[in-house]
Amino acid sequence: MKKIVLLACVLVSFVFGGNNVPVVDNALYQKECTSCHFGYQPALLSKASWEKVMGGLNEHFGTDASLSKDDTSTLLGYLVANAGNSKITRGNDTIYISRSPYFIKEHRDISPRLISQKEVGSISNCIACHIRADEGSYRSRDIFIPNYGKWK
Amino acid sequence: MKKIVIAIFLLSTALFAQEFNASMKTYVQSLSVEAKKENPSFGGFDAKRGEAIFKSVHVSKKGKEISCATCHSNDLKQTGINVNTGKSITALAPSANPARLSDVKEVDKWLRRNFNDVFAREGSALEKGDVLTYIINQ
Ligand code: HEC
Ligand code: HEC
Ligand code: HEC
Repeated sequence: MKKIVLLACVLVSFVFGGNNVPVVDNALYQKECTSCHFGYQPALLSKASWEKVMGGLNEHFGTDASLSKDDTSTLLGYLVANAGNSKITRGNDTIYISRSPYFIKEHRDISPRLISQKEVGSISNCIACHIRADEGSYRSRDIFIPNYGKWK
Repeated sequence: MKKIVIAIFLLSTALFAQEFNASMKTYVQSLSVEAKKENPSFGGFDAKRGEAIFKSVHVSKKGKEISCATCHSNDLKQTGINVNTGKSITALAPSANPARLSDVKEVDKWLRRNFNDVFAREGSALEKGDVLTYIINQ
């Protein structure tokens, strides 16, 4: 019995561990929102943030990412239904994941040189360092920064 | 013998001359109708003009020099790179990447976005037709 409880705890923390987010499971999102960059999981932004993102796709971070009306509203539905409500979204209703207070705190010790190097380019390029980000893992043990190595 | 010659001929056209599929043909046809409306002396799309459009350099909304080739490279059979995000872009030429220029919705969407990014306006029917003619012939 004890073993089962322990196993259940391990399993639960594995699936819902603070550094994991649910993976992208929407084909339209996969097609339309990963063509220019890594597909950010819906849980990384709040509902209010996603509404702003999807309301401004024609001027999306200095580039035109506009979609048909239908596709825009389908995707907004998916994002809002799966929007985050945890420490990474707390205090952030901007269109930037990278402006969340928790995000800033977690990344402040990284030298700017490691971010601007061409293998990474920008802090928005999550998967350049979080090598299993597409599986929803942001755990320390899955961080490997190019030309630096494992994060310690 | 005749059969072999025909087979070789078919094979070589398949290898060297790329053709639009049926839905893309309809799309390009509608662009030429529009181009004719805008300019009655319009006499067909031209790959050379398309190449000039593709390689012409402009100042983007971000104040940086940009052309279509900035992201897609000067050799369309090669992998390009998105200058805004660093993500690689598979080759644009259908001869190297058969999925390209096969889906009208996809092509129309990216031409709208990419012209806006490079020219700060949408492309005209003439420009879009010329550029597609250039790309399909790479
Ligand atoms: C045409 C290219 C393009 C497409 C398509 C696109 N984006 Fe982006 N996106 C960008 C660029 C450029 C940035 C800024 C990245 C940077 O600064 O490195 C960005 C950044 C973002 C960010 C902020 C990342 C951060 O650092 O906080 C979010 C969120 C985002 N995009 C969501 C989306 C969603 C959702 C879609 C699909 C509807 C989408 N994007 C489609 C180009 C695109
Ligand atoms: C330059 C490499 C780099 C990039 C790019 C990057 N991160 Fe990180 N991230 C790190 C490092 C290093 C840590 C700190 C881990 C630690 O101290 O345990 C971290 C921590 C985190 C954490 C907290 C993990 C924990 O252990 O609690 C989350 C969540 C996270 N990053 C998400 C993101 C997201 C989302 C993006 C993209 C928008 C991103 N990161 C981009 C390197 C990076
Ligand atoms: C900022 C980078 C960038 C610039 C500049 C750019 N493109 Fe693109 N283009 C992309 C991306 C990203 C895609 C979609 C990537 C993918 O499907 O792998 C794309 C896709 C396309 C497609 C769709 C091909 C298909 O059938 O899948 C065409 C056509 C195209 N671009 C033409 C152009 C033309 C013409 C210009 C200049 C007016 C241009 N691009 C400038 C980034 C760019």
